[in-house]
Amino acid sequence: MTEQVDRRADATRLQILQAAAHQFATRPYSQVNLDDILASADVTKGALYFHFRSKHALATAVIEHRAEHGWVEFGQLSTRGRAGLETMIDLAYLIAVSDIGEAEARAGLNLLESIGRFDGLQAKLLDVWVIGFAAMARRAIAEGDVVDRIDPEHAARLLVSMYLGLRQTSNLDEPESYIGDLESLWMLVLPGFANPERLAYFAGFIRRRSALAVKNAIPLRANNL
Amino acid sequence: MVRQARSEATRRRIIDSAVDLINEIGYPASGLADIIERAELTKGALYYHFESKEAVATAIIEEGIDTILNAFRSAGGPSSPAMENIVLGLFVIADAIKADAVAQASCRLLRTFGGFNPAAKATYVVLLDHLAERVASAVEQRDLRPDVDAEAIVATLMASMLGAELVSSALADGRDLRRRFALNLEILMPAIVTEESLGYYREFLARQSMRISPSNP
Repeated sequence: MTEQVDRRADATRLQILQAAAHQFATRPYSQVNLDDILASADVTKGALYFHFRSKHALATAVIEHRAEHGWVEFGQLSTRGRAGLETMIDLAYLIAVSDIGEAEARAGLNLLESIGRFDGLQAKLLDVWVIGFAAMARRAIAEGDVVDRIDPEHAARLLVSMYLGLRQTSNLDEPESYIGDLESLWMLVLPGFANPERLAYFAGFIRRRSALAVKNAIPLRANNL
Repeated sequence: MVRQARSEATRRRIIDSAVDLINEIGYPASGLADIIERAELTKGALYYHFESKEAVATAIIEEGIDTILNAFRSAGGPSSPAMENIVLGLFVIADAIKADAVAQASCRLLRTFGGFNPAAKATYVVLLDHLAERVASAVEQRDLRPDVDAEAIVATLMASMLGAELVSSALADGRDLRRRFALNLEILMPAIVTEESLGYYREFLARQSMRISPSNP
């Protein structure tokens, strides 16, 4: 009996999170209205406040919900039998494609920038990214794809910063140019840490991912219709 | 509940014993009596789970092929080029066969039965379908030549890999499967990969053959 109630409560919570993600993905934090979330989630105000005591708490939950999902995807990607540097590039494209087309991903990153800065959540989650990328960079050094004078954690921090910066300077609603910008950035930084003999291979690797990403990315607005 | 768990454990013991025997002395030489002896069970216990030796074989084929297909599927999704997924998938299969005794036995059984066992026959069909799907995408992505018949590409890839598995199993106890797959692809690729992509895939293949299989560091 309680199990059933729990399951229903979980479903409601998820419904609210999804509706919130759509709002936070397409509007700045300050312009998101709880009433709009209520209307699109089709739940009562009481239900919403039962699960989240404030807009801030709801936004934090959206970030954390997405972070968990991202962690699972990361785990799947890193066990596919690919080399460390290949996995890093694949992960960058995976993040970009979901950022372009999935409300939960876009909202999570938007909110991380807007509200995450002040309560340590940003530092905590980005540290997880950095640690993940650094582990792959370490593998890439062992595999000879990354030169061994590089500090894997510095390389990881650069790549995470690069992606977060790209979100600010490029336009997520125009997939083709966004992916094009991502490709240009990677091509630019790659000679800074990759084995020079393998640059040509990785340039081909990146170009192939760009072509597929442009095909696979469905912009959020088109997705909503 | 307890009873069900015990029954499951017995079934497992039968399969594992049969797998060991098939890998050691081959299917024809492994009699039901040997399986019973190795599993330390009674004849009744075996017949409770399997009606015949071939039923045990079918269960092994199904389980082993599941492992192999999952390995192939796990190697790549829509975010990586289909031709990469084909090459990587074949190496992941080689690793899975090497690491998993059930998968190994299921390959031996496939050879023993060919088209005479429905599970074995179905396996070839599923493998061909999986490969055909990726080949079609790779043609679309301009990595495989559009002027070569896709069906012929699938058939040749499949036949050469199955052959490599047979030879590797017979001559090297399956230890050099990765290398044999690489040799096959090296010869095949110029015939099927587009001119623009050939350089890239030669390097992709070289990287794969250089890499030590994760299951055997």
